[in-house]
Amino acid sequence: MTQKDRNSSTWSAKIARFREAGLLGFILVLSVIVQFRNPSFLTIENISDMVTNTAILSILAVGMMLVIVTRGIDLSIGATLALSGMIAAQTVVANPELHPVLAILLGTCIGLICGMVLGWLVARFGILPIIASLGMMNVFRGLTFMVSDGKWVSAHQMPASFKAIATSSLLGINTLIMIAIIIYVVSYYFINHTRTGRQIYAVGSNPDSAQISGINNGRILWLVYSIMGGLSGLSGVLWVSKFASAQGDTAMGYELSVIAACVLGGVSIAGGSGKISGVILGSILLGILNNALPLINVSPFWQMGIQGGIILIAVLINAVVKRGVDRNHLMRRNV
Amino acid sequence: MSEYVLELRGITKTFPGVRALDHVHFQLKKGQIHALMGENGAGKSTFIKIITGVHRPDEGEIYFQGERVDINHPKDAQQLGIAAIYQHVTCFPDLSVTENIFMGHEKIDKGTKRLLWKQMHQEAQVLLTELGADFDPKTQMGALSVAQQQIVEIAKALSTNAKIIIMDEPTAALTKRESEELYRITEQLRDRGVSVIFISHRFEDMYRLASQVTVFRDSRYIGSWAINEISQEDLIVAMVGREITQLFPKKAAQIGEEVLRVDGLGRTGYFKNVSFTLHRGEILGLTGLVGAGRSEVCQAIFGLDALDAGKVFLKGKEIHIDNPLQAMELGIGYLPEDRQKQGLVLPWSISSNITLPAIGKYAKKGWLSRHKEDEAAKTLAQKLQVKARSIYDPVSSLSGGNQQKVVFAKLLTAQLDVIILDEPTKGVDVGAKSAIYEIISDLASQGYGILLVSSEMPEVIGMSDRIVVMREGRVTAVLDREEATQEAILEASMVSISPRNREQIAEARMI
Amino acid sequence: MDLLRRDNEKGFSWKGFFLQWEWMLILIFLLVTAINSYLSPYYLNYDNLRDATMTFLDKAFIVLPMVLIIILADIDISVASTVALSAVVMADLYAMGVPMEVAILICLAVGALCGFINGWLIVRFKELSAVIVTLATMIIYRGIAYMMLEDQAVGQFPEWFKFLGWGYVFGIPFILIAFVVCAIAFALLLHKTTFGRRIYAIGNNPTASRFSGVQVDRIKIIVFTLAGLMAAVTALFLTSRMGSTRPNVATGYELDVIAMVVLGGISTAGGKGRMIGAVIAVFLIGYLRYGLGLINIPAQALLIIIGLLLIGAVMVPKLKIRGSGWRKAKPADAPVKRAL
Repeated sequence: MTQKDRNSSTWSAKIARFREAGLLGFILVLSVIVQFRNPSFLTIENISDMVTNTAILSILAVGMMLVIVTRGIDLSIGATLALSGMIAAQTVVANPELHPVLAILLGTCIGLICGMVLGWLVARFGILPIIASLGMMNVFRGLTFMVSDGKWVSAHQMPASFKAIATSSLLGINTLIMIAIIIYVVSYYFINHTRTGRQIYAVGSNPDSAQISGINNGRILWLVYSIMGGLSGLSGVLWVSKFASAQGDTAMGYELSVIAACVLGGVSIAGGSGKISGVILGSILLGILNNALPLINVSPFWQMGIQGGIILIAVLINAVVKRGVDRNHLMRRNV
Repeated sequence: MSEYVLELRGITKTFPGVRALDHVHFQLKKGQIHALMGENGAGKSTFIKIITGVHRPDEGEIYFQGERVDINHPKDAQQLGIAAIYQHVTCFPDLSVTENIFMGHEKIDKGTKRLLWKQMHQEAQVLLTELGADFDPKTQMGALSVAQQQIVEIAKALSTNAKIIIMDEPTAALTKRESEELYRITEQLRDRGVSVIFISHRFEDMYRLASQVTVFRDSRYIGSWAINEISQEDLIVAMVGREITQLFPKKAAQIGEEVLRVDGLGRTGYFKNVSFTLHRGEILGLTGLVGAGRSEVCQAIFGLDALDAGKVFLKGKEIHIDNPLQAMELGIGYLPEDRQKQGLVLPWSISSNITLPAIGKYAKKGWLSRHKEDEAAKTLAQKLQVKARSIYDPVSSLSGGNQQKVVFAKLLTAQLDVIILDEPTKGVDVGAKSAIYEIISDLASQGYGILLVSSEMPEVIGMSDRIVVMREGRVTAVLDREEATQEAILEASMVSISPRNREQIAEARMI
Repeated sequence: MDLLRRDNEKGFSWKGFFLQWEWMLILIFLLVTAINSYLSPYYLNYDNLRDATMTFLDKAFIVLPMVLIIILADIDISVASTVALSAVVMADLYAMGVPMEVAILICLAVGALCGFINGWLIVRFKELSAVIVTLATMIIYRGIAYMMLEDQAVGQFPEWFKFLGWGYVFGIPFILIAFVVCAIAFALLLHKTTFGRRIYAIGNNPTASRFSGVQVDRIKIIVFTLAGLMAAVTALFLTSRMGSTRPNVATGYELDVIAMVVLGGISTAGGKGRMIGAVIAVFLIGYLRYGLGLINIPAQALLIIIGLLLIGAVMVPKLKIRGSGWRKAKPADAPVKRAL
């Protein structure tokens, strides 16, 4: 093999190596452009608003990443979020003295239960995740409407302590962001430094081998959907606290943003690979877009189309890059 | 303590509708390489899965170093020190080599349950060096070659301090040189006192390595012999239950005009500059080590993959084929290597399978005609002597050899000039093999041009009129029947590459 | 040896015949009817039944091609968005002065184009599953609908256009006739033509199909295009019935449609199932909804019931009939095959 051959790796193989740096670069360039068009973009208020929004998105994206790594998908998280947010909100309205931490715990538990049910359907009965989560989405959404009886829980009903979850700060950092950071760190440690965490990747990478290696695939699947549910429940409380309202149709369709954040962050839909750092960057990019589009006078009705376009382009780029990497392996063969 | 490190007595395992194992026995000594042989479906795989705890036996006892044990779970087997290396490498392509080695028995900190990456990487490095591998344990598994992946599997077995290592057809996907490397490692293991159960269809593997051979047939235990006690002929009889008289019924066929010519075919990463010609009535053998690019050439001719370079001429006219349908309409048929995955729709009836490629021919303007279809299927099934009760039986109920005949029948639904056979006897039991050779011979004498891809040397030499040998994606020799000896073919398929080159390749693969 | 002999050993068994999924559906159907008519005296009223049928049949047109898609072992969750987009395009064009006939044709063309794009993306990028492709196009198609109409509704169609959704031919609702005709056409296509045979082949074993000269990619594109076209047909009927259209019409239809298909006994693993099952399931779910509506079950509860029905329907085949009792399938024995 000549020297020239060895250096001529395909451009997409290079992209694969620098994916996160590229994403970061793109975020910076985008921010600069938006800032030029509308100087109110990089103001303290706007940034803090953007970051807190992104915090919720990224918490969900971390959970979704685990689900996608196992070759699954969860479309029910928007409904889970709404259900736990609604119940938590109603509980604090009924008991204004309730400590906010307990409200968070309550929401998380409800989400956890939702996730456990879904995980049980997927793991125990082998129902396709898309079908199971589509069905449960309806169930959870219907339950939310029934629990709320079609009514809203509005800002003035909620006790100040509850609303303060989103506005207060811990060690000088906004609580929402603090919670998100804690979740990043814990998840990072979990998926990289614990046995169970690595088993999630093993199951996604090759389910058959995982079984032979003595991994209980069902338990892992059940676990990731439960984690996803728990995180959705947590996000539900945070969401309701931040927007100070709980409705039947809270976060409808939000699962799509979360999936978009994952694929933008390089999580492979085929399973087995995905990084926390990528998912965080993906969430930030999406958060900036959502925030910036109205600022540069893009009609809110365009947002959905743009978001869909981003998902599609991101998965197509992932696919093309993957092909390039494979082709690169082929070119290295000495034929 | 018992003489045997592992002993199984009266193991029976039944699956719904099938008795996979029927009171089989097995005895393995310490430091022994023990070959386990039998036709496909003889129960070897189920047996392995019993030992490794994937399945639980319905009846029977397992003794490990003389003590009665229950192996209910892969973890139990692992704790006893039993490790398996499966036929198809079962790795995690997205994970690192280290993780693959330690999957299932990771090193964790006792207090915090934290994974000890540093230690694992170091230990993996030590194991790989011992096995003579030169890649980094942090490499992603998916970036390695099959042979390298197999070394990782062995390293994995060693890392569990396995006392018994089971190798299920480990050489099936390896080149000759890589197989040699594997033999060396296996012997090294034996000398360390590890017992090895070696499953292979290749007699050469067995004679090269094993000291004892046990044979299963039809889910039953047939016998166990020291390797020098039993001749190859007797062994075949034990495996098949009958004697095979004439294995290669090659008829002298009238070799006619040129029907297929390929010129300078190339596909990046697979093959380059491949040229040969095929005549009517001729059986052209295409051989070489696995991975030499033979199947890839055939699949490209058949339109399954795109060609990057070269020309294909059919009956003197240049043709361009983009998909299999076009190839079949032009008169080129292809019998795939893996009949279960590529050849058949397993839950379907024999009839529907046979007519699938030419379903349009047996229909009236797109409307199905069951009658026409069944008649055609029946005729072909009879012609090829498919043994079944009825053509409405699902093909999944047939034996390997009969399934292969159904795939042959599929080919004959089209008007063909050229038939490409990719490993037509792979995984077919010895008895059915000779029936398939008969079919191939008949087809040639009917005037089809036949391209026979095969890795089995006796088969290629016994059946072909001429032999094309490939190595690493290139044609290295075209031999006439007279000059085709095992030695000549071997030389053409594995002329050594200079060490400097080899280094470069290894280096390139490592990244 | 008579190779043409049918498997006579087991012979024809009434038990086997009646244990078919379709009979179970009919049984459930009768059960639902019985319970509904017991609970509400208005249930078995001809006018009510007819009106109910006309209400739920619009989405049934998508069920037909969805059966083909799921037999191919794919899925299309963008169909509801395709309905919205083609309806919005039609309404928008009409509002701009394009004759209604032309607008209808363009509506159908838009639907078919949406389906074609799905199919093309799926065969062109094989490493992506149909789930993710149609998930993306689901957002895009509806997104485009929003871009065109924002939050307005467009209506005021010509009087004759109402006929589609409200008209009768010999006292039978036109929509029912249209559905029956389409259902028969699709059933024939699936069960009686080489095209249908090839769809089953692909669903069972895509690789072997390709090796056997089946034009897998072409068939997939055709089937997805058909799905888009039928979504546009749904858009016509839906718009006709509602009299106007908005970008958020048909929200959640994909779920109903998939639920009907799966309930109809079409396996999500591909290669199995019959058209008749899905057609029965359409009426089963339709009348179930109508009945529950009559006894004042709130819409939210219906949401839950549909969700549970979908899950129940995919769960039932996983529980195997063994002897007299129901035995749960052991996931440990089942091959782990799960790609989304």
